[in-house]
Amino acid sequence: MMTGTQQDEMQARRKRAVKTAWLLAAVAITVFIAFLLSGILAA
Amino acid sequence: MSTESTLSHDIHEHDEHHDHKPSGFLDRWLFTTNHKDIGTLYLIFSLLMFFIGGSMAMIIRAELFAPGLQLVEPDFFNQMTTMHALIMVFGAVMPAWVGFANWMLPMMVGAPDMALPRMNNWSFWILPFAFAMLLSTLFMDSGGPAAGWTLYPPLSLQGGQSFAFVVFAIHMMGISSIMGSINVIATILNMRAPGMTLLKMPLFVWTWLITAFLLIMVMPVLAGAVTMLLTDHFFGTSFFNAAGGGDPVMFQHIFWFFGHPEVYIMILPAFGVVSEIIPTFARKPLFGYSAMVYATASIAFLSFIVWAHHMFTVGMPLTGALFFMYATMLIAVPTGVKVFNWVSTMWKGSMTFETPMLFAIAFVVLFTIGGLSGLMLAIAAVDLQYHDTYFVVAHFHYVLVPGAVFALMAGTYYWLPKWTGHMYSEKWGKIHFWLSAISVNILFFPQHYLGLAGMPRRIPDYSTQFADFNMISSIGGFIFGASQLVFVGVIVHCVYKSRQKATGQVWEGAKGLEWTLSSPPPYHSFNEPPVIDSSTIAHADSTH
Repeated sequence: MMTGTQQDEMQARRKRAVKTAWLLAAVAITVFIAFLLSGILAA
Repeated sequence: MSTESTLSHDIHEHDEHHDHKPSGFLDRWLFTTNHKDIGTLYLIFSLLMFFIGGSMAMIIRAELFAPGLQLVEPDFFNQMTTMHALIMVFGAVMPAWVGFANWMLPMMVGAPDMALPRMNNWSFWILPFAFAMLLSTLFMDSGGPAAGWTLYPPLSLQGGQSFAFVVFAIHMMGISSIMGSINVIATILNMRAPGMTLLKMPLFVWTWLITAFLLIMVMPVLAGAVTMLLTDHFFGTSFFNAAGGGDPVMFQHIFWFFGHPEVYIMILPAFGVVSEIIPTFARKPLFGYSAMVYATASIAFLSFIVWAHHMFTVGMPLTGALFFMYATMLIAVPTGVKVFNWVSTMWKGSMTFETPMLFAIAFVVLFTIGGLSGLMLAIAAVDLQYHDTYFVVAHFHYVLVPGAVFALMAGTYYWLPKWTGHMYSEKWGKIHFWLSAISVNILFFPQHYLGLAGMPRRIPDYSTQFADFNMISSIGGFIFGASQLVFVGVIVHCVYKSRQKATGQVWEGAKGLEWTLSSPPPYHSFNEPPVIDSSTIAHADSTH
């Protein structure tokens, strides 16, 4: 089993992972919306 | 019972809960957040889709067995070619790689699970609904999509009401892929065991990291393109409708901006698997580990700037044609580095030829054939002759079947003992390999000649001069299709009947964190971070 320090480290990693996920999701949504907008504005 | 013993009992129960699988069927499979269970679900799903898409290929080859209309109506034939491609690309190959990623990445980087387990569950369970929706279009009045997997307008806009289902299904597949990719990146960047630096990661992890970035960049583009098709079809917009001021060629640019990286999304993890297998059975470290990483990244980068080589016949300025031609040819350089390094790894190695190694070697040889025909297609001047012929069909099937699919089979045989705790039947594995390797060439090699002779793709009938090679190709197809039943038999036997237990390491030459675990691994892989040193990982000294 993990020691207390290891558990704290794992919690910190999971928090960083969630931040990474939000950042990547924002990139994907931005690409999608920017792409649609470029089509609409060019029309 | 004393307070102390009650507490001890509770802790014990707590541990039991975490060390053992959920008991109920729904808890285990529907609500699972375990990376191995979700990996298994992905792999079973992709195998099912492989057979559904394969059945459509059998219909196509049966129709093309002889000239003339034999079995199906032309429109249904077009639906089969379109659905075969969509199902194989989005339902079979991509989910299979996500299944591999789920099973192997946490174990390879020394993590207890994927970084975002609940999202992992969600990204899988979207898929069955997406494909149920896609397949349901075959039973609708307007039929399934029939404009090819590229969905080019104006043809795709001439379909009926079922087109909305196709678009929504593609959206759901895209959401699933993006969520899966986010999970992969978050896991690799944040959950690696202490000491597992980026340049110590196994090649399969590297190739998946790069693949995941590709997916995040291109799947929203596909989603945007099909959304515009949807509004053109149902809401009167004219993004791609020339009559309303739109530009159908623009769709082709957009589609291939997604579509070309998509090819690499399917093949980069294959490079990773082969880079794991060859060193194991050559009993040598991978030759040029760092070069392999940089070559993978180079291929991924180049995949973004070559899309218009699919469109030489559409017409473009000479400078454009030259740029896309040379950029495409440039991909041969990092790909050549990879092939050179695989061969160099085998050079003077103590090689043995178990089934995973056979599939890996066949991959190297046959994928290279697909790559070389790709170089021929890259030459803008001669592509005018090859375009839309069976030469193209032969090319991309060499890349995807003895390429991606053989790598999936190699990986399955390689890690199946780890997953199940039992050895598969080597004899039947080899029978499966030889049947597949011979029949896949009977199936696809004649298609090069058909294309060079001018047979167009996506037609249910053809001139009698193409009859012989088509018949040979169809016979190869039927044998290849039937031989995949052997694959299923080997897996089922391994899971349920095999009495030969697998050791933790399984293969004598295998190195990596996943091999330090028992076979099958515990439900939660690494409850304590593993120790990273040269005895446990393959590339511990790669930075020296």
